[in-house]
Amino acid sequence: MLIDFIQQIFNGLVVGSIYTLIALGLTTIFGIFGIAHFAHGSVAMFGGYLTYFLISALGIGLLPSFILAMAAGALLGIVLERVAYYPVRNAPPINSFIIALGLTLIIEKLNLLAFGVDQVIIPTPLVNVINVGGVTMPELRIYVLAIAAILVIGMTLLIQRTWIGMAVRAVAQNRAAAVLMGINVNSVSMFVFALSSALGVAAGVLVGALFAVAPGVSSGLVIKGFAVLILGGLGSIPGAIVGGMLLGVSEAFAAAFVSSAYKDVISFLLMILVLLVRPEGLMRRSSR
Amino acid sequence: MWTRFAIVAVIAAAIVFPLFVTVNYFIHLAILAMIFMIVAQGANVIQGYTGYVSIAQGAFMGIGAYASALLSMRAGFPVWLSMLAAPIFTAVAAAIAGYPALRIKGHYFAIMTLAMNMVVFTVLVNWVSLTQGEPGLPSIPSPEAINLGFTEIAFEKRRAYYYLALAALVLVMWIVAAVVRSRVGRVLLAIRQNEPFAEAAGIACWKYKLFAFIFSASLAGFGGAIYAHYMGFINPTPFSADASLNAILAVILGGSGTLTGPLVGGALTVILPEALRVAEIYRLIAYGLLLILVVIFLPRGLVPAVVDGVRSISRRRKTP
Repeated sequence: MLIDFIQQIFNGLVVGSIYTLIALGLTTIFGIFGIAHFAHGSVAMFGGYLTYFLISALGIGLLPSFILAMAAGALLGIVLERVAYYPVRNAPPINSFIIALGLTLIIEKLNLLAFGVDQVIIPTPLVNVINVGGVTMPELRIYVLAIAAILVIGMTLLIQRTWIGMAVRAVAQNRAAAVLMGINVNSVSMFVFALSSALGVAAGVLVGALFAVAPGVSSGLVIKGFAVLILGGLGSIPGAIVGGMLLGVSEAFAAAFVSSAYKDVISFLLMILVLLVRPEGLMRRSSR
Repeated sequence: MWTRFAIVAVIAAAIVFPLFVTVNYFIHLAILAMIFMIVAQGANVIQGYTGYVSIAQGAFMGIGAYASALLSMRAGFPVWLSMLAAPIFTAVAAAIAGYPALRIKGHYFAIMTLAMNMVVFTVLVNWVSLTQGEPGLPSIPSPEAINLGFTEIAFEKRRAYYYLALAALVLVMWIVAAVVRSRVGRVLLAIRQNEPFAEAAGIACWKYKLFAFIFSASLAGFGGAIYAHYMGFINPTPFSADASLNAILAVILGGSGTLTGPLVGGALTVILPEALRVAEIYRLIAYGLLLILVVIFLPRGLVPAVVDGVRSISRRRKTP
């Protein structure tokens, strides 16, 4: 029983780390622009497909492909911000939400056009399984966890320790004051979209290696990302990390001990419960 | 006076429409469009008038559809009765879901309702003993024929069902117009414009928000019931979050917070994807592009934009 318990925590953390990567991008974009960037899941799938394409068709190695895809994702993020979100930056939030839906449709179908309808699994050489006291840990899953951890720590350092990160935080806190202090909000928003989309692509690649890249995956991924945002508090980076892990682990438990068909229902019920008890999320301080 | 004339003209046009259209496929699209107008009008009540974006309209449509189908097939209700029971059933579900959900605002509320849609969808897929899951419920009966003495109206016929859907739409429009123009409607508008202020003026906003949510859901449930008995077959697919997003799009495209907006938007969301028939993939891309362009260039929707256009032209004529 205890072994089962630890096994499910491990499984949950692996999946949760992917949710965290998705949620980090969503939460940064939301915290700064109030945009519910629904197309984030499609951007992630674009990254997964692109990585597969680079590896299988062009014969580029796994790691370089991964990095190239993240760079392409960053570029895509900038394009989306400039072309679609920038024109509605002063309109009511529902407008940017509709834009996000339109983008989702477009990117989703462009993915289909460019990469086909088949689901693909990103090939990795990581096939060993490590067994620690009865808990099975496939090497691949350990790498996923490690890569996610590196990216999350990297992003946190970028936001907390660098000049551009300080600008991002300033805009999130008080846009008008940030503008008065001479921060170029335009370049901050492009930076945020680039960073978030690169992280989203990373999540897409990890999903592709762990499970599969397929046309239907993106909406599930983005909805889980939003669930994490609700759990952790909209706009909160620590909230995204804690919320992602919590969602992953509770899903793993629900699948193992209750019913795998209803695991999503259980994780959403958890989210609804959290909203009722703490409407501002688990990590959000009540004063902004 | 002009509005009343326009309403009569539109209804008259809708009545004669099947007489001039010989292609069954167009009648089919018109029926689907009218069903979707009812669902979109429901979304308009909560989104356009109250200012709360709900992404659960598809789920409530599904609840209405399954409720009506199962009541008529398993519980032996007459179809007419189960179609009327479906909105009530949906209203109860919406009351249970809305009571906790309406304690939160803005994006939180939107995402919460999206999660509810996912929950309902998952239950529809997995509660096989009740819903028969993914393969769906086949052979849902049509409404019983009405005997007028000299002739009998059989609703298996597409044209007869067209008039049924039209009557339902007119009924819904009439009820929504009455609600929107009543005191309740003004309170809903006040909530959209400034909820704290409305609260400060002594209005118990939560009651009105809950009413708007339940009302909008029951319209979706009604639309779902009409859909179920028209198609004769339902499975969970048309009630996913996509349907909810489509309802939101219909409201935005047509013009939110206007009575006619959801009619135009609902028709467009059903007909545009069909009209843009290049290839499935390209037409959805074009649809997405169109959406973005409308939001950027006509942010208030088509109906207000056209109305403004007509007004400015007539004003220009008057001033020499």
